[in-house]
Amino acid sequence: MTAAAVLEVRDLVKHYPGARALDGVDFDVRAGEVHCLLGPNGAGKSTLIKCVSGIVEPTAGEVLVDGDPLPTGAPAESLRRGVATIYQELDLVEDLRVYESIFLGHEPRRAGMLDRERMKREARTLLERLDQPRVPVDAYVRTLRPAAQQIVSIARALSQDVRLLIMDEPSAILDDQEVETLFGVVRRLTEAGVGVIYISHRLDEVRRIGDRVTVLSDGRTVATGLPADTPSDVLVEKMVGRRVEQLYPARPVGRDEVVMEVRGITRRPDVRDVSFTLRSGEVLGIGGLVGAGRTELLRLVYGLDRPDAGEVRVDGRRLPPGRPRAAIAAGLGLAPEDRKSQGLLLDWQLAANVSLADLGRFTRAGLIDRSAERSAAGAQLRELDTVPDDVTRVTRELSGGNQQKVVLARWLLHDCRVLLLDEPTRGVDVGAKAEIYRVVAELAARGVAIVVVSSELGELAGLCTRVLVMREGEVVAEVAGEQASELELLRHAVAPTHSEPVLEETA
Amino acid sequence: MSMKHLLAPVIVALALGVAACGDDDESSTTASDTTAAEQSGGATNETVAEGGKVKIAFSAPGADHGWMAAITENAKDEAEELGDVELISAEGVTDSAAQADQIETLIQQKPDVLVVLPNEGEALTPVAMKAMAAGIPVVDVDREFSEQGAYRTLITGDNYGIGWQAGNYFADELECKGNVVEIQGIAGISVTEQRSQGFEDAIQDRCKGGIKIIASQPADFVPDKGLSVMENILQAHDDIDAVYTHDDDMAEGVVAAIENAGREDEMFLTGAGGSKNAMERIKEGGLYRATFLYNPSMSASAIRLGRLIARGEGLSELAEPEVPSKITVPATTVTQENVDSVMELGF
Amino acid sequence: MSTATPAVAARAPRIQLQEYTLVGVLILLLVAGAILEDSFLTSDNMLNVIRQASVVGVIAIGMTFVIATGGIDLSVGSMVAACAVAGAQFADSGSTMFILGALGMGILLGGINAGAIAYGKVVPFIATLAMFTAARGLALWISDKKPTSVFQLETVRWFGNGEVIGIPSAAIVFLAVTAVGWVLLNRTAYGRHVVAIGGNREAARIAGISVPRVVFSVYVLSGICVAIAAVLVTGRLASASPIVGNLYELDAIAAVVIGGTSLAGGRASIVGTFLGVMTFALIFNLLTLMDLAVEIQQVTKGVIILAAVLIQRRDR
Repeated sequence: MTAAAVLEVRDLVKHYPGARALDGVDFDVRAGEVHCLLGPNGAGKSTLIKCVSGIVEPTAGEVLVDGDPLPTGAPAESLRRGVATIYQELDLVEDLRVYESIFLGHEPRRAGMLDRERMKREARTLLERLDQPRVPVDAYVRTLRPAAQQIVSIARALSQDVRLLIMDEPSAILDDQEVETLFGVVRRLTEAGVGVIYISHRLDEVRRIGDRVTVLSDGRTVATGLPADTPSDVLVEKMVGRRVEQLYPARPVGRDEVVMEVRGITRRPDVRDVSFTLRSGEVLGIGGLVGAGRTELLRLVYGLDRPDAGEVRVDGRRLPPGRPRAAIAAGLGLAPEDRKSQGLLLDWQLAANVSLADLGRFTRAGLIDRSAERSAAGAQLRELDTVPDDVTRVTRELSGGNQQKVVLARWLLHDCRVLLLDEPTRGVDVGAKAEIYRVVAELAARGVAIVVVSSELGELAGLCTRVLVMREGEVVAEVAGEQASELELLRHAVAPTHSEPVLEETA
Repeated sequence: MSMKHLLAPVIVALALGVAACGDDDESSTTASDTTAAEQSGGATNETVAEGGKVKIAFSAPGADHGWMAAITENAKDEAEELGDVELISAEGVTDSAAQADQIETLIQQKPDVLVVLPNEGEALTPVAMKAMAAGIPVVDVDREFSEQGAYRTLITGDNYGIGWQAGNYFADELECKGNVVEIQGIAGISVTEQRSQGFEDAIQDRCKGGIKIIASQPADFVPDKGLSVMENILQAHDDIDAVYTHDDDMAEGVVAAIENAGREDEMFLTGAGGSKNAMERIKEGGLYRATFLYNPSMSASAIRLGRLIARGEGLSELAEPEVPSKITVPATTVTQENVDSVMELGF
Repeated sequence: MSTATPAVAARAPRIQLQEYTLVGVLILLLVAGAILEDSFLTSDNMLNVIRQASVVGVIAIGMTFVIATGGIDLSVGSMVAACAVAGAQFADSGSTMFILGALGMGILLGGINAGAIAYGKVVPFIATLAMFTAARGLALWISDKKPTSVFQLETVRWFGNGEVIGIPSAAIVFLAVTAVGWVLLNRTAYGRHVVAIGGNREAARIAGISVPRVVFSVYVLSGICVAIAAVLVTGRLASASPIVGNLYELDAIAAVVIGGTSLAGGRASIVGTFLGVMTFALIFNLLTLMDLAVEIQQVTKGVIILAAVLIQRRDR
């Protein structure tokens, strides 16, 4: 028994000058189902949902909501017909309160004045419908964690009569526990008959939350309406057009030589008394929930923030606290969590982004030797199989995975010995993930010591030599890579362990 | 820089500090002043007896150029010289609202007379009327209030007269023939319009088109703009007989442009206002032929007028028992012949 | 998530395109001027234009570095006056002392801006706004509100009005400052760091750049450029006046921005700034040559600025 289709998309085409973003897409969503949309970056997923939400006007094709054609290129009309979108970059006004955000643009009024009491009351009802009564309706959006902000966005969509909810990579900013909460919310919506389009790069999520799955590639629907239990490797093959032999490369084994020691480093309240050693050639994972202090720990090690106590030693020498320059000089490199806002100058050419941390080596008599800079940058990019490897290209034009390689190339150029990678695969598609894992393993094989922070515990379990799990600013467990599983790591990340954390393993 | 100059900001800062501490100094002063005012008779135009000190309040905008600086200095010097005048002054503001606040404060101190050079006549009319209503006669200097009731006496320079005198001077010197360049002040303000209009009227009246104004451009009363504007005009015109500028300071730049181009023998130039530098150049002879006084001594006269009003006296040379309600200071033409006699008025 | 549009193969950096369009605007101006006014397109007048452009031009080069970091310097006009009268305090000791005095004042005031912004964490707009009034006050105070003649300072006057084989010395100074600025911005690690800070402060920090030190330096650099401009303007006027420099900040900022440097920082072009300065100087020159009424001049200038920026936008 199939429910009626909430959305039907027929032969949708969108041409941009010099490019075909969509080239014949067929797609439908039934009432009460979660239809997952998969595809590598640039496959046309964003364009598709923008056509449905009315932000982009398609060149040809039809969009039907509840069987009636939807006027295209009219966001207000899409909203009126019950199509709501939760974007990846949350579009809430941070300086508004929760209830104000939920009703922004369609505030209930009484005698021309805002009816605050009614707004608060209805906001509470909406949050209860989502089984999230603990989100405070009076709080400012800015004070909420990303996960809670997302709930507010969903409540905002529900505050109008929603028939179809589009969620663009909702799990990208969430940790595993928060993802569970999100799934709960999504199930409540579907029970109420709402159709959901769910975009994600995480294949395991498709199986857990989806009913059907559609794969986009190069602007076409490669496969539409597959059952959600289609095996992952089949989906991956459809996405990338080839078989990905193996997601994770052979697990790196560390050498004996200790490169870096972190002793008792503390910055309250984020990081408390964290100690670990890092060996040459190993990949050390740091897992935990969002807010457990992982990113903050990397910032302390790298000198971006000053610790209250503790120290970092590289090759036995103590790094002066709070000085990234000194850390870089000692051989550290950091690929930050948010490549775009912290790692790269997107309008610059690749060469300049690669050389930024080490311009001194190309400076002759005060001037930069640009041909030397370009050839050295090009060599590093080629070594990482960056596409394109033309160093005069503008960084913004690269895909997320390749931008990540540009950051890595910067540190390789500097002969970096300790690489700190914060969420290295966030927002990149599965093909690019495999690429990054391969690069990490190769670097480790060359003797670079690597620290990987990730919210995807499965990734840590698959990639790392050892995994430290953090909770509330402390390291609560150390798990050897072969024994690590997503479930095991999550257990440490959420529940208090009663045993003493194992910090030193006999090698 | 004198010691006094260096100390001034320190004193201001200290004063502000005291005020901020909530000291009741100010209120006690006001109280004693009130008593003084009551003793002297209060609200109506009561006169100050012979021999008693006249309390004059003075307010002018911040001295951003030589002329305005001279206005303030002349007022202070005159008060000191007269001996029986106590001057309380407030200066340094650059906008009308702040000056209005200042004048409010001065009114609180119950002066016998208020002498004001308003930043803008229109904007400061209300506060002047308030002073008049409180029984404090107002002497308006240079810029006119928009209501007759806002002042007891107006003493002003003659901007139209400057243009008129200059026009006549040009007609004489050029014998009603030739090409003239006009370098104006700030476009769109009354000073510029009047100095321009008077000049145009005079040469039209005298020469009926014999003198042509071949270029007329504003240079905002500043020398660097005067320099650039004149340089461009020199490029455009090969035959210039004379240059009429609206201001002596600005004329410094115009002179530099002409001298840099080596064309000082081709033409002559006049200024306006009456600065020391201009007068010295006139005395030397050459390019700078004349200037027309717009004399900052008018503030000294304003203090004198204020003192007479407070005492209920008139001008001794006039038959009327009281000070006239309007006095216009003539725009004296200064040339090499009479420059020595007015040199001391230069600022 | 990437946008659905595949990367367009835009290899030439956009900034160069912008410079080319500005060249187009300049040529258009020259052609229009030649038709409208006989005395416009003569070598004499062109040398006059570049001499006039040199004062604001030198300031605009310094301003380019400030704006490249995402900052702004509103105090340059007032600082010109302060530097000029500071130099004039040493006028009796000769031209060298005048120049040193002006430079000293420029470095001092620029350094105060720099300290407040880089280490005091004051917003550049506010810090330099404070200096805008303070420097003007200082100029009036030191000079006792009167201009000082520097007629006897031959070298200072040479900088303003001298010539080398027919080329105005002020223009040579401007071109030299432009050339040094270009090399500094485009060919040194320092220049890279300046633009990196404006483009992405956090990324610059992670790449090991000492952000406060670089930010400090650009305001001092601006102060030095201002001092050079003060020497030029004093030389041209043969006197040091406390009321010069009025609104130079706006002229300089406008030239930098139409030259393609982003007000938000992260994108800077010295060639663009040079062309922007020349554009404004040519417009001012042409409109004065034509003796247009001031109101028409102002409207025309506004229209040309807007048109120049719009043409550039279309090209992007």
